[in-house]
Amino acid sequence: MSMFKDIPVDVGVIYEGERIRRNDMQVELGGPTVKEKFELAKVKPLDQIDDGKITIIGPDIKDMKEGGVYPLGILVEAAGATLDQGLEGVIERRIHGYLNYIEGFMHLNQRYDIWIRLGKKAFQKGLNSFEPIGKVLYRLFKSELPIIEKVQITFITDPAKIREMYSGALAEYEARDAKARGLKDEEVDKFYGCALCQSFAPSHVCVITPQRYSNCGAISWFDGKASASIDPKGPVFAIDRGELLNAEKGEFSGVNEMAKKRTMGEVNQIWLYTAFDHPHTSCGCFEAVAFYIPEVDGLGVVQRSFKGAAVNGLPFSTLADSAAGGRQIDGFHGMSIEYMRSKKFFAADGGWNRIVWVPKEVKEKVKDFIPAELVDKVATEEDAKNIDELKEFLKAKNHPVVARWAAEEAPAAEATALQVTEEAAGTMMPVATAGTLPIMAGGFKIILKDAKIYANKVIITTVKDSKDKR
Amino acid sequence: MTTKNVHVKIDEMKTNAGLIKNLELSIGKVISDNWTEPMGPTPMPHISTLRDWDMKLLNKYKPFYMPDCDLCCLCTYGKCDLTAGKRGACGLDIGAQSSRIVLIACSIGAATHTAHARHVVDHLIEKYGRRFPLDVGGLNVKVEAPVTRLVTGIKPETLGDLDEVLTYCEAQITHCLSAAHTGQEGNNLDFESKAFHAGRMDQVGMEVADIAQISTLNFPKADPEAPLIRMGIGSVDRTKPTIMCIGHNVVPSVGIIDYMKDSRLDDKMEVVGLCCTAFDNTRYYDRAKIVGPISWQLKFVRAGFADVVVIDEQCVRTDIFNEAEKVKAPVIAASEKNCMGFKNRTNDPADQIVDDLVSGRVPGVLILDPDKVGEVAVKTAVKIAPIRRKLNVLPSLEQVKEIAKTCRHCNLCQRSCPQDLKIPAALKAAAEGNIAPLTALYEECIGCGRCEEACPQKIMIHSLIVKAGEKELMSEDNLCRSGRGAVSDVEIRSVGGPIVLGEIPGILAVVGCANYPHGGKDVYDICREFASRRYIVVTSGCSAMSAGSYRNEEGKTLYEEFPGGFEAGGVLNVGSCVANSHIAGAAIKVANIFAKRNLRGNYEEIADYIHNRLGAVGLAWGAYSQKAASIAAGFWSLGVPVLVGPHGSKYRRMLLGRSDKPENWEVYDARTGEIVNTGPAPEHLFQTVETPQEAMVQIAKLCIRPNDTWKGRAGKLSHYIDLHKRHYGCMPPDIHMFVRTTADIPITMKDEIVPILKEKNWKESVIPDPTLLPRMIRKQKE
Repeated sequence: MSMFKDIPVDVGVIYEGERIRRNDMQVELGGPTVKEKFELAKVKPLDQIDDGKITIIGPDIKDMKEGGVYPLGILVEAAGATLDQGLEGVIERRIHGYLNYIEGFMHLNQRYDIWIRLGKKAFQKGLNSFEPIGKVLYRLFKSELPIIEKVQITFITDPAKIREMYSGALAEYEARDAKARGLKDEEVDKFYGCALCQSFAPSHVCVITPQRYSNCGAISWFDGKASASIDPKGPVFAIDRGELLNAEKGEFSGVNEMAKKRTMGEVNQIWLYTAFDHPHTSCGCFEAVAFYIPEVDGLGVVQRSFKGAAVNGLPFSTLADSAAGGRQIDGFHGMSIEYMRSKKFFAADGGWNRIVWVPKEVKEKVKDFIPAELVDKVATEEDAKNIDELKEFLKAKNHPVVARWAAEEAPAAEATALQVTEEAAGTMMPVATAGTLPIMAGGFKIILKDAKIYANKVIITTVKDSKDKR
Repeated sequence: MTTKNVHVKIDEMKTNAGLIKNLELSIGKVISDNWTEPMGPTPMPHISTLRDWDMKLLNKYKPFYMPDCDLCCLCTYGKCDLTAGKRGACGLDIGAQSSRIVLIACSIGAATHTAHARHVVDHLIEKYGRRFPLDVGGLNVKVEAPVTRLVTGIKPETLGDLDEVLTYCEAQITHCLSAAHTGQEGNNLDFESKAFHAGRMDQVGMEVADIAQISTLNFPKADPEAPLIRMGIGSVDRTKPTIMCIGHNVVPSVGIIDYMKDSRLDDKMEVVGLCCTAFDNTRYYDRAKIVGPISWQLKFVRAGFADVVVIDEQCVRTDIFNEAEKVKAPVIAASEKNCMGFKNRTNDPADQIVDDLVSGRVPGVLILDPDKVGEVAVKTAVKIAPIRRKLNVLPSLEQVKEIAKTCRHCNLCQRSCPQDLKIPAALKAAAEGNIAPLTALYEECIGCGRCEEACPQKIMIHSLIVKAGEKELMSEDNLCRSGRGAVSDVEIRSVGGPIVLGEIPGILAVVGCANYPHGGKDVYDICREFASRRYIVVTSGCSAMSAGSYRNEEGKTLYEEFPGGFEAGGVLNVGSCVANSHIAGAAIKVANIFAKRNLRGNYEEIADYIHNRLGAVGLAWGAYSQKAASIAAGFWSLGVPVLVGPHGSKYRRMLLGRSDKPENWEVYDARTGEIVNTGPAPEHLFQTVETPQEAMVQIAKLCIRPNDTWKGRAGKLSHYIDLHKRHYGCMPPDIHMFVRTTADIPITMKDEIVPILKEKNWKESVIPDPTLLPRMIRKQKE
């Protein structure tokens, strides 16, 4: 591989899934036994970066004991005319991807949680320094992300220096998260569309905004921005959000136009903050699905990994099937778990005030983002296994939806309709003949005399009366 | 929930609502249909209904004939010489004749699975009733029978519903086979299209059989953690009476296991199996054991550890009674399709049959009642085991040496050996006291016994090989995951993201029989290579056994090393031959789950979706049977490429794409209606490969599809290039055909690939929403 000719080991996507076991490792860097470790990307002005410079502070790999465990910090500083600090997170996560391309090098997790192992075989082949590792990072950054014009990389193994930089790194992550979570849809002029899963769901497009992750949970607004700037013609593209048509529902003129164009007119209007009327479309690989529960006039959420039936008696597979395929389905909404941490999470429907049931595993994950007064009012599978139990629970906890119940309580009527089809009549003669056959509707009187009814096939279907969910 | 032939007659009825006189109501069929999905264009297709679709594929992937035989001797005008363009007395040329044989093979295969399904379903209906509900995966499986839904338009809910599905298949297979009669079909592509149709019936038949047994016998239901089963003779406690079941149909084995449990003998004896019966035994009873793939039955019988041999149907050696008699093991034939010339003792008292078998008065019996098979097999094994323990069935090493000395070195054994094993040299060494070369043959021998038939000295060559490999044989103790059945809907949803983001480069199905060119290790190596590369690896049948028969550096088998889910780097065993339908089923479900495409009677659209989008490849490394041919045909008609090992060339033809003809690689972009050239993706539909290395390179390449996202394509190309470099020592010569935009280029290989593109005058193209069907072009809605 000529691009990495001077690197002692192979570099390629095929090494991504490689695992290095304890017995096979030369050294471990970071990991669960090391308290202070980090990796951090910073965007700097162009004149402050010495392009291609690789610095090692502290002992290099060759100075480390075989089988030893050491702390590590990785600092990637990048600059570019169009590069802004909003992309730091995206650049930082590339470190994980790139390092895993190195044969015999395993990188897990990110930020203050990194865990790296270098294999003995790679070490024996000559990968005994951070220098070539830095070169790999450098070349891949420059090759994949042309918006990065300059980049310098520092590896820190000196414990004192790591300690010095560690708290700074933590503060950076904190600030970045706060900024990302604080960023509002109204504050940006571009959203991003993702058509990656059109390869399998041809009519679906995700709209990714600062306050709404992609349905699959894999792409944030920042990721979208990075992808679109790297490959403007690619499947992740910028959407001029246009005019804010409806602040409550989350309707933007640019989003509507994009949807109309990309779905060939199937979807012309999207409301980003609601599960009703014009909800965002659902692909196939969404992490969770929100579903309307008419009996309590609230929304439930169930995630893909949930085993068993949701509170309405339906499993994820059935609920997901109701939403999928790039369609807008009133009352069903495929979504990411991250969306539950957004202030715009079904904001038009009442947000968390309207959420009545969430499996415990998910609730635990997003607990900090549920308004404090509601945390105990949202049922999990431990509180309610069916609608009756849910009703009781919500009543007992005085969940906000209870106040909505006052009005209607129409019984769910089920009727069976008999439908006679005359497919391929062939040998059988009449579908209905009769000497006298007055059938009167209204007053209801039937007289059949000498009647003969033949049907090749009678198909009986159950028709359910749909109930209004508002 | 279907009722047939309803007839109601009312002479006179007076009610408040009105008067009815002489009413006759006659209804052919009452269908309770709560399935709201609209019926697609081709429910229950006839042999020509999907001909247009088949022809699309057959013109893209034209048959390349490799006649295994230049003669036709099917009618009394013949034999006809078909060499050098000559036509036979009926008018057929060698191309059409080769296709005709393909059609016959596929029809036999489809008939075999469907007849198997028929037996299972009829038996289970008798036992559990027509209304017994189908359940293949509880809450996680909503699409219970994707193949059946797709082909027939029926959504089966109960055992009884499967009856109608089978009736349809039976009629179609009869039509398929009839087309092979002299003076029916004359065109090679029409024969091929009908072979595809037989493949479709085969998939349905297999699915019916497996969902019926999963539902009633409580097999693992779409379970990624189906139990790990001990496998190999080394895992069998040879001090216990041992029953060995050979074949594919679990029904008699269920009789054995139930009887054994009821008589509290389950701790005191062993039930082991060969091939699919082994798998289905373990799906029913996780303490059943697998001894190995079916084509090796000769060695397992000759090893002599089985006290009773029970045979059901398919792939059973037809001389098994001879072989079993040599080791004094009584045989019970338990299938109508495989009576073996034994006297039918179904209605005799069990104890009398046991007596006859134990005393050796008869070498075997035919019993067509599975419960009685159970009783007789168990009782016979218990009684005969102490007697048989005193037998020495294999020759001693000293005897091996003496027998080897009688070899005249005529080389007929090696010439008749399908693997060209160097038997004469090994015998020479053995005669001189060096057993090692003979031991080395053990791993590669597929156990067909042709060497013995060829030997003018009547040397029991295979027994000598088994004796030389006895240590290996007796120490075989590995783990195989029991057949998990279907892939759940939820698992399919979970891999959508990783596939479009390029984290899962493709799906590899390693299926089929054990007619390997160099033993089963190749299967293990290929599975491990692709699982390590984070492909999803699906196995079934004998290949699933071979995959579990070797261990890594840490002593772990493949099924311990990799997870059993449908996920990146997962290795999942769906189960027996009939469980192969779940692999096609998973592909079909992708279209339903991600694109919300209707399945009901909608074959062409779904096949078009799978062909253009789903990066899946089948590998039947040791395929030998007609069933393997029909299974492959089912995948061809869905547009999924299949590779076979070297012996697969004897299937007489390949379906090869021509990468040098750009016009063959055009699709419609459903978004714009424009024609887009996608390059040769996938390049072939059916191909023979000679070495595992060639197979690996082709697998990586055949996972490429027109719809790949750039991330997906970059990942697929990385693996293709890496494997090509590794095994051919150079960059693939056709790499420029697979790059659509520069984003497709793997980022670590840019500087290598960009110059190649320049040199080849490469031009950027677009990633289409690909389809071969003009009707799928989307219309702009106003």
